[in-house]
Amino acid sequence: MAVQTQTPVFQHRDSRELANVSMTQVFQDSRGWLWFGAKNGLYRFDGMGFLLIGLPEGLEVSPVRAIYEWDGLLWVGFANGTIGFIPVNDPFPHTSFDEFLQKKDPVARLTLWNPEEGLPNAPVTAFMADKSGGFWIATYGEGLYCLKDKRLYQFDSADDGLSGNEIYALACDANGQVWAATDAGISICSMPEPGKKRLRRFSVADGLPDEIITALLADAQGNIWVGTQEQGVHHYNVAKRRFDFQTELWSWGAVSSLALYEKSELWVGTLGNGLVRVELSTGIQHPLPASHPLRFVNTEALCKDREGLLWALLDNGAIYSANVRFGLLETPFGNTQALLRDSRNRLWAGSAEGLFLGVSQGAAAKSAGADNWVFKQILTKPENIISLWESPLDGTIWAGTFGKGVYVISPGGKVLKHLSERDGLFNGNVLSIAGNKKQVWLATLGGVSVIDLEAPQRIRNLTRQSELGTGYVYKVFLDSQGRIWFCTDGNGLIVFENGHYRQIKMANDIPLKRIYCITEDNRGHIWFSSDNDGLFSYNGQHYRQYTLENHLHSEAIIGLAADKNGFIVVAYEDGFDLLNPERIDHIIFCDESIGAPHAEINLNALCRDAQGNVWLGARQGIVRLEAFHEVFLDDPQPGITSVSGSSQNIDFLSVHSFAHDQNYFIFNFTGLWYTDPESVRYRYHLDGFDLAWKVSKDPLTSYPKLPPGNYTFRVQTSEHGNFENVPEASWSFVIRKPFWSEWWFVLLSAMTGGAFFYGFIRNREQRLNRVAQLKRDRVESQFVALKSQINPHFLFNSFNTLITTIEENPKVAVEYVEHLSDFYRSIIAYRERDFISLQEELDLVLNYQFLLKKRFEDGLVLINQLDGKTGLIMPLALQMLVENAVKHNVISASKPLRIELFTELNDYVVVRNNIQPKLKPEPSTHFGLQSIINRYALLGERPVLVEDNAAFFTVKIPLKK
Amino acid sequence: MKLLLLIGFAPFFGNPDLGPNGYLVPMERPVAEYREAGLFSCNNGRVAFKSEAPLEVIEAESKHLRGILDAEKQTFAWTVEIQTFEGFNNALQREHFNENYLESRRFPKASFTGKIIETMDFSKEGTYSVRAKGKLNIHGKEQERIIKSQVVVVGNRVQIRTDFRILLADHDIRIPKIVYQKIAEEVQVVVQADLLRN
Repeated sequence: MAVQTQTPVFQHRDSRELANVSMTQVFQDSRGWLWFGAKNGLYRFDGMGFLLIGLPEGLEVSPVRAIYEWDGLLWVGFANGTIGFIPVNDPFPHTSFDEFLQKKDPVARLTLWNPEEGLPNAPVTAFMADKSGGFWIATYGEGLYCLKDKRLYQFDSADDGLSGNEIYALACDANGQVWAATDAGISICSMPEPGKKRLRRFSVADGLPDEIITALLADAQGNIWVGTQEQGVHHYNVAKRRFDFQTELWSWGAVSSLALYEKSELWVGTLGNGLVRVELSTGIQHPLPASHPLRFVNTEALCKDREGLLWALLDNGAIYSANVRFGLLETPFGNTQALLRDSRNRLWAGSAEGLFLGVSQGAAAKSAGADNWVFKQILTKPENIISLWESPLDGTIWAGTFGKGVYVISPGGKVLKHLSERDGLFNGNVLSIAGNKKQVWLATLGGVSVIDLEAPQRIRNLTRQSELGTGYVYKVFLDSQGRIWFCTDGNGLIVFENGHYRQIKMANDIPLKRIYCITEDNRGHIWFSSDNDGLFSYNGQHYRQYTLENHLHSEAIIGLAADKNGFIVVAYEDGFDLLNPERIDHIIFCDESIGAPHAEINLNALCRDAQGNVWLGARQGIVRLEAFHEVFLDDPQPGITSVSGSSQNIDFLSVHSFAHDQNYFIFNFTGLWYTDPESVRYRYHLDGFDLAWKVSKDPLTSYPKLPPGNYTFRVQTSEHGNFENVPEASWSFVIRKPFWSEWWFVLLSAMTGGAFFYGFIRNREQRLNRVAQLKRDRVESQFVALKSQINPHFLFNSFNTLITTIEENPKVAVEYVEHLSDFYRSIIAYRERDFISLQEELDLVLNYQFLLKKRFEDGLVLINQLDGKTGLIMPLALQMLVENAVKHNVISASKPLRIELFTELNDYVVVRNNIQPKLKPEPSTHFGLQSIINRYALLGERPVLVEDNAAFFTVKIPLKK
Repeated sequence: MKLLLLIGFAPFFGNPDLGPNGYLVPMERPVAEYREAGLFSCNNGRVAFKSEAPLEVIEAESKHLRGILDAEKQTFAWTVEIQTFEGFNNALQREHFNENYLESRRFPKASFTGKIIETMDFSKEGTYSVRAKGKLNIHGKEQERIIKSQVVVVGNRVQIRTDFRILLADHDIRIPKIVYQKIAEEVQVVVQADLLRN
């Protein structure tokens, strides 16, 4: 029978922008980005596209030989000895893919590392950080460098006894020492203090399997996997100081790289023989099948990512990745209907063509083209095998057939017994077999037959009515507590416990009708499925149902199994779900899209092996589902890749506060999920703005015109559209209020406004006061003028004058009375006015003068030079000044009072009189002159000028034009 | 034109330095050192190659492989002139080999210089299986190779037997599409050389 191998699905990662780019290195950083080193620079890969990070400006092109993360930086070593770096969290400006393709320009550039001591001149082959702050740089030709406290120290073979100057690889062991792989063994180096070199050589003489050590890898415990040029791979236990594992009879050539799945398997990249998987539990080596594109190739680099994917670079620069938890074993026979991995790790497979026993050849198959599994047919008659079971009592294999009963086969493959209906079986269609060391239960289409192993001839058939109530039993299952479960058609699930049969009913008391599959997980929970009601779990007390609403792929379940990590494998005809019971509703459907083989799975053709892996029988062959010891990420990892404003990128790692008009935001984010990048869905929410989460397939969104406020942009990612308990990335920022709505500005404005208002009010008040004052003064002056004019003396004098005149000259008397009345009428007429014309005032003064003249005759001389002059003057001002002059001076014919009225420069009306003071001064309120001065001041006119010297009293009144 | 199809080709060539006495000198070492007791040399070693293509098998051999081996330092240097290869299926094939593929006028020699990985005692008679790591220079293009060899020490004589494969592409030897069926991409090389203690 042809030999077969079991292969993960390797996918060639090709992309249009990489048409002429050969990759030389691959590395995953702490944030989950995959970086690829090429001959023209460094690429960052998000699962969909490659973003080029250029070489330092002006640097000669040289292939990348090493990539490593240390001290927040991604370090890149080149074949020409150059070393460059870039911050791992550098937010690159966002470039759309097409834009990027058109420009061909790198989105960023590496910074050239420029140590004082100078860069190496030989290829940089590896970096490694030790546990005491040392950073080690391996070269191929110049030995080893250690950067410690900013100084660079060199270890070489001539001066320091390094095993060789050509270093293939570095690793750091549990003691913090750095292992350097060379052509003459390993040098174990450390630098406890700057400049203090410690070096121990580990060579063939010390038990190393080969002189040329080409690969090193530290495991989680700090022990070292050693890959050699000729002797395969060996595992060195650092604490016990000895090798405790080796690949026997290695024939796959020089080892170039290693990728470890802790305690499960080691992938070995070789020169000439592609990738070889080494099962750590058995040591069996599995090269890929002869026809596989990765079979006879040179492996350049391997990398296991956080999702458990294996990345392989070939020396031709091609990139391959595989979800190595899945493997497909193509069988030489048809449809696998029943599957069993026995206690000797052999594989029993039942098909319509018979029963087949597969043995993994592993290391035994030495020739280069050999594959791993050899199948041989067990039964001479090609029976249709539909169920398999291994007896824990004697290791015999029980194979149930369709219609022909059950065969009991020795572990060596000899048929020991054939039991059929003739031997007392209910029915010859044996759908399922289960049992312990004492009894075997056979589920048949006629009911359940129980065989007592101590007396195999005694077959007891459970009757339909009393125990199970139905004759159709699809599966019989023995759990870890010794309970026996029967999956029936008609009466649902029945459990035999403490000597009693009990039908399982749901909380709502509705009995289940048809149950197909059952299994038990490593916590002792029972899982079972109906034909179309989905999946149920039972923890001993409660049932829980899983349906499409819980993101089950389908409710038509055809197989169940639990792996050693507690994951439930739920099989359908077109694939299977991997359900993590620890995370409710987190179910990943496994089909080609995530790298599982295409498989049409058969009813109850699942089994679990001694290592806790699950095997599924399908039309295409047998699918292996490896249950790795390591826990891998099972969610896309969200991250915000860039934030940009309306025109430029925002350095969002350091800037969190924006002006009111910087309120346009575009967020670019990512959900790293290399397993199936296309399936990633995003859900985002801008706290402080959005009312509800938005779900999107596009990794970007924009928010125009955000009002001032505090915001947090949150993005979650999911690969199956279910966003419960998924990881989240967020970025908080503030849009400041415009300055005019800041409290300080409002306060300042209010204060300024208040001050202005206050000033205005005050000003207005002053003005009003002034006006009021003016009015008061005017009224007062009118009153004073009136009062003085009608004071008894004036009247008395006027009347005396009148009396004498009437008698002497009645005509003059009449004239006098006319002047007197004109005078009074004028006073009354002008009292309301601020100004009157000079001529009006002059008329008034002349009237007044006429009255005075009658009294004083020649004692009063009024020299009037104002005729024809124009201008405005305060009413009664001249009259008042004339009156004052008359009042305060002696008037007689011998000493006439001369009052002159004239203008000065047409600006002033001047009233001047000679001073002849009375012996007894008239009582004076001093109101008259003061009133004139005040009124002119209040009206904002030029001031009234008063000159008082020995000879003259002069008042100059401004003439308003 | 038909004759063109009969082209041959093969490996080996380069231009290692020769010391003043005509010996090949491993890199950067004063010639004087090689006068010492640990030095073995040979100038009539045999190197043969075989190209097995679907339509034609081509074989050729040179008996003028020269080499020097420093037993103490475990270093060696080998060189052969491309023009000394003989055999082929016809004269024209040899001409194509020299002129078109190996371009022996530009790159007259092939060489292999390097060190022996395993520590071995050349004063002890016996058969050793060792790996030689070094730079293989053919057609002016250098490749680092680790080549496994059998070394037999008999008295003053060191016999070296090895075979290995050469990918033409590794050495920029381009074969026109038209003769692909007649020339293998990978040729098999066999070396036999006896070195004598100086």
